Amino acid sequence: MTTTLYEDRESAIHRLNPVTKLVAMLSIIIIVFAVQIWWVALGIVVFIVVPAAVVSGTGGRLLSLSLKLLLPILIVLVLLQGLFFPEGTTVLAEFGPARVTVEGLMFALGIGSRIAALVLCSLVLLLTTNPALLMTSLTEKGMSPKMSYVISSTLQIIPAFQTRAQSILLAQQARGLRLKGNPLRRAGAILPLVSPLVLGMFTDVEERSTAMEARGFSSPATHTSFVVVPDPVGQKIARWLLIAVAVASVVLSLLGVFK
Amino acid sequence: MIELRDVAYAYPDTDHYVLDGVDLTVARGEVVGVIGASGVGKTTLAKIIAGFIPNVEGGTLDGSVAVDDVPISSLPLAEAVAQVGLVIQNPFNQISGAKFSVREEIVFGLENTGVPRDEMITRVTDVAALLRIDHLLDRSPYALSGGQMQLVAIASVIVMGTPVLVMDEPTSQLDPGGSRMVFDVISALTDAGTSVLIFEHKVELLREHADRIAVLAEGRIIHEGTPRAVLTDDRLESWSVGSTRYTRAARAARGAGIVHPDAALPVSLSDSTEYFTTQRTGR
Repeated sequence: MTTTLYEDRESAIHRLNPVTKLVAMLSIIIIVFAVQIWWVALGIVVFIVVPAAVVSGTGGRLLSLSLKLLLPILIVLVLLQGLFFPEGTTVLAEFGPARVTVEGLMFALGIGSRIAALVLCSLVLLLTTNPALLMTSLTEKGMSPKMSYVISSTLQIIPAFQTRAQSILLAQQARGLRLKGNPLRRAGAILPLVSPLVLGMFTDVEERSTAMEARGFSSPATHTSFVVVPDPVGQKIARWLLIAVAVASVVLSLLGVFK
Repeated sequence: MIELRDVAYAYPDTDHYVLDGVDLTVARGEVVGVIGASGVGKTTLAKIIAGFIPNVEGGTLDGSVAVDDVPISSLPLAEAVAQVGLVIQNPFNQISGAKFSVREEIVFGLENTGVPRDEMITRVTDVAALLRIDHLLDRSPYALSGGQMQLVAIASVIVMGTPVLVMDEPTSQLDPGGSRMVFDVISALTDAGTSVLIFEHKVELLREHADRIAVLAEGRIIHEGTPRAVLTDDRLESWSVGSTRYTRAARAARGAGIVHPDAALPVSLSDSTEYFTTQRTGR
């Protein structure tokens, strides 16, 4: 039980070094926001992100998650920018003070395609990347093991605390706590849950810190890694190329090439 | 070897000494069980021996605590934990919470201390076989039951291979079979030379596996001896410590005049059978 979206499968995308996927995701995000041309973002989604999801066997999950995440954002964007874009001059339709303009719709398309690229890229990374391997790879690339611990434990600990909150709630209900009724009453019912949960967390943090130190967490020794993550030369080169393209897109954007 | 001499400790911002005059020795390859009422200072004593007090938690520590003749409080924490493995009471907090499989969880401490990967593989395989958790190695640590998590927590400390182990109620979440297995593992470790100090309420297991039992009460080791001598001591109840069910039954029988009053009290099932067979008064 974790908060991660990772789906354990066998695919070429899954086998990529996690850092390569992370660099690819960040590069794509930088490129689509630097270039600011809607068809570039859309092209990346159609020709890179969607095929990657299909090859990795996570297309269905990606579709379901992206609909939940993106649809509300895109609807709001189209409604706000499409109907109330102040600089819109080419009017397609009018509804009282609201005007559907070509410029407004194009603006919404530009923003929407970039947000879609950002969300979809991030989801493909999360769906195809084992968090443990990502942390190991990042540690191998120089990230502090303590930072790696903080990120990994956060991913793991949230559901554990949800379970604990559920147990406390059940215990309080067994002692007569009533959760039904008006919102004020339900809000009041949360109070007996908060105190044992928060106090328990403080105790846990102290105990866990003792246990971590007992296992050499602050040891000055050079950390070793049990998990081995392959990192072929080809992927190292690909990462540098991606970084170069991302940097170039930012530089060209600053020079006004994409205006 | 663990050697405590006149150890006294007060938590920060208080003058009250929760421990006051603790003397205790655990020889190489010996298992010593410490029993005592809740809140008597067992966990505090465990943390002192493991080097966390006063290094991490502060407070005033008097007397001397030595592991293999080295004062543990003089060592930096990283060196102290290389000498003393500490199993804490709550297995949920013993696991790192940062690893996605039991296998990775067990080797967490080995990664921190720079153990080469090949050795990690050997050690995790050995300790998993010892504690019979091989089948759990690929599971998420958070998908385990309380008992399974406790075994993983114990494995994650044993795998460090420290010469001294301090265990604070290591079987609190385990069923009788699991508890027995943990004590069998402890016996195997002591056969290999590890010194084990175990804080435990399950006196029948201590009777079976400990070389000696010490009673912690009033801030010090108030009584110490062989399991039989300690567990049949009449003062045990006054220290809020339970004796074995066999001893309790025999005491009740003695009180009712069913058995001879001077007969040595039993501490095990076989003792008990013999006791009730040979010591009956005929009433």
